[in-house]
Amino acid sequence: MKWYILKRVLWTFVAMWIALTLTFGLISASPNPGQMRATMSCAAVGENPQECREQFRERNNLDQPVTERYKNYMVNMVTLNWGWSESRSQYVIPAILDAWRFTAQYAIPVLVISTLVGYGLGLYSAYKPYTVTDYTASFVGFFGISIPNFWFALVLIILLGTRVELVPTYYQSGIPIQQGWLSLANLRQLILPVTVLLTASLAWQMRYSRAQALEQMNAEFVKVAKAKGASQYRLMIWHVLRMAAVPLSTSFVGSLLAIFWSGSVIIEQIFAIPGLGLMTYTAIVEQDTPLVLATTLVTVFLAIFGNLLEDIAYVILDPRIDYGNR
Amino acid sequence: MSGTEPLLSVESLTTHFHTEEGTVRAVDGVDFDVYRGETVAIVGESGSGKTVTSESVTKIIDIPPGEIVDGSVTFDGRELTGLSDEELQEIRGDRISHVFQNPQNGLNPVYRVGRQIGEVLRIHEDGISDAEVRRRVVDLLDRTGIPEASSRVDDYPHEFSGGMKQRVLIAMALARDPDLLIADEPTTALDVTIQAQILRLLEELQADFDMSVIFVTHDLAVVSEIADRVVVMYAGKVMERGRVEEVFEAPAHPYTRSLIACLPGRGSAMRRIEGSLPEATDPPEGCRFHPRCEYATDGCASGDQPPLYHVGGDGNRQSPAPVGGDADHTAACVYYGPAHDVSTLEDGGDRQ
Repeated sequence: MKWYILKRVLWTFVAMWIALTLTFGLISASPNPGQMRATMSCAAVGENPQECREQFRERNNLDQPVTERYKNYMVNMVTLNWGWSESRSQYVIPAILDAWRFTAQYAIPVLVISTLVGYGLGLYSAYKPYTVTDYTASFVGFFGISIPNFWFALVLIILLGTRVELVPTYYQSGIPIQQGWLSLANLRQLILPVTVLLTASLAWQMRYSRAQALEQMNAEFVKVAKAKGASQYRLMIWHVLRMAAVPLSTSFVGSLLAIFWSGSVIIEQIFAIPGLGLMTYTAIVEQDTPLVLATTLVTVFLAIFGNLLEDIAYVILDPRIDYGNR
Repeated sequence: MSGTEPLLSVESLTTHFHTEEGTVRAVDGVDFDVYRGETVAIVGESGSGKTVTSESVTKIIDIPPGEIVDGSVTFDGRELTGLSDEELQEIRGDRISHVFQNPQNGLNPVYRVGRQIGEVLRIHEDGISDAEVRRRVVDLLDRTGIPEASSRVDDYPHEFSGGMKQRVLIAMALARDPDLLIADEPTTALDVTIQAQILRLLEELQADFDMSVIFVTHDLAVVSEIADRVVVMYAGKVMERGRVEEVFEAPAHPYTRSLIACLPGRGSAMRRIEGSLPEATDPPEGCRFHPRCEYATDGCASGDQPPLYHVGGDGNRQSPAPVGGDADHTAACVYYGPAHDVSTLEDGGDRQ
């Protein structure tokens, strides 16, 4: 197993290298918005656009051969020198370091709550299938999956933010800086974003865990365990949940990325949270290439690293997986 | 058989399953006794209710959709049907244990076999030490014929063959030295050569552990080898009960006769019983077997299943056997009751 894990870790580096090379290829092949801007501003003040273009290329080392540029790019990437963000007027790495906490403060609770509560409800639904509880949970689940996040967020803002004024209608990024990340004021303004994201991800976890648990409950070994004198709790946790954990472990990265991509971009836009989602959105709109590149790579690395964890969890959870020859 | 009081006494046990297609009357008033140290075989086709009968004893069936509608199960003087799930948990695996049909899926694939056998000990013996669990698990594996038990104990189920898995499951069932082992087709899913080994093992272990066995099977050849007494079931009803020699030498009920005639080497070759098992949601009136019975009279098609009548050695008509009765040979067929001539069957039997 040690060798298998070592191999998988090495493979993640290969995957990261491939991802970096692909992005380099795409950037080289696409027009450079900075160069276009520089040329156009020169033309506007009456200078020679051709000259400006050359100057820009020289300044940004675009006149060098591809191999040289690729080498510089890789060195920069590995040494975390990810470039200058025009739109934020700061280096990319500090920008990400500023933004990630704003995303993590709601994404991590959503992930933890949706996993714990979602699996708990799913398991309970499977334990008492086709009862009122099960149907209620299923209804809430499908409701959460079906309604669009942006619509639900707006409805909640109108109902709880303006009509009742229970919670603030938008996020004030000064609050966590001045009063602390765990201050009541900060937690209060996170209620709505967390609720909106939870509806979808919790429902999804619940449906999936219910299906997996139901499948395991009909397994012969559960009947054998019952015949041993195992209690209901022992049957559900020690046998059913433990078996269901094998397929469930593979859904983890998927839900993580779902929160990041489909969730955070929309949520942060609606509530004005200055996290990675909003940063990605602004970077794309403002054609800030280094920043777009950075946010993309962060997501890609998250996926690669998540898959590594999944693969390791999988062989630990299921002894039948033969990792000897892989 | 030893002792005068039966270890297990099942009386008019009725188990229904509530499904979308209607109520399945899987077990419909079944009586039989199991005495200490004996092996009782419950025989019948698939769908005859034999498995549900065996799993109703400690309520291993899923409730709901299953429901034990009526009847009583008395085990060692204690009524089981009214017990709570917690009380039954103390009996399951401890005094009454099960071995099931399919060893392939009987073990949880993510736990080592030793841990799964040890689970029985941990459930039923509070505060048992890890070393004690291991020592006893190795001993159990050894007694059930697993070679190199002390190292195999740490293997996962997928590292065992089907026959070995069944041995592990038997070890698990015997962990607490039960009084009653309910073996539901324990050899059906195995190769023929392995079947014989497992049967022999069960016979040895029964003597070793001094336990009673309920052996559920559709295989009459197996029954004749290992059982003391036999209960023949059809469509949720008991058709015939008696000592194995009696039932095999002189089957009384037309259904049992047909079954035995179907055995290879008996009667005419390649015989089969015409027709098929009735729908469990809508069983026929009268004797459940009458639509397929060549001796059925008009009276067989109405009322309820005839009671179990004594099968007299000389064909004498006798009164219905007492419910939950002794080891006498009885059959639920009108020909053994009043106003019928049993020699009609005898003539028919000669013709077969």
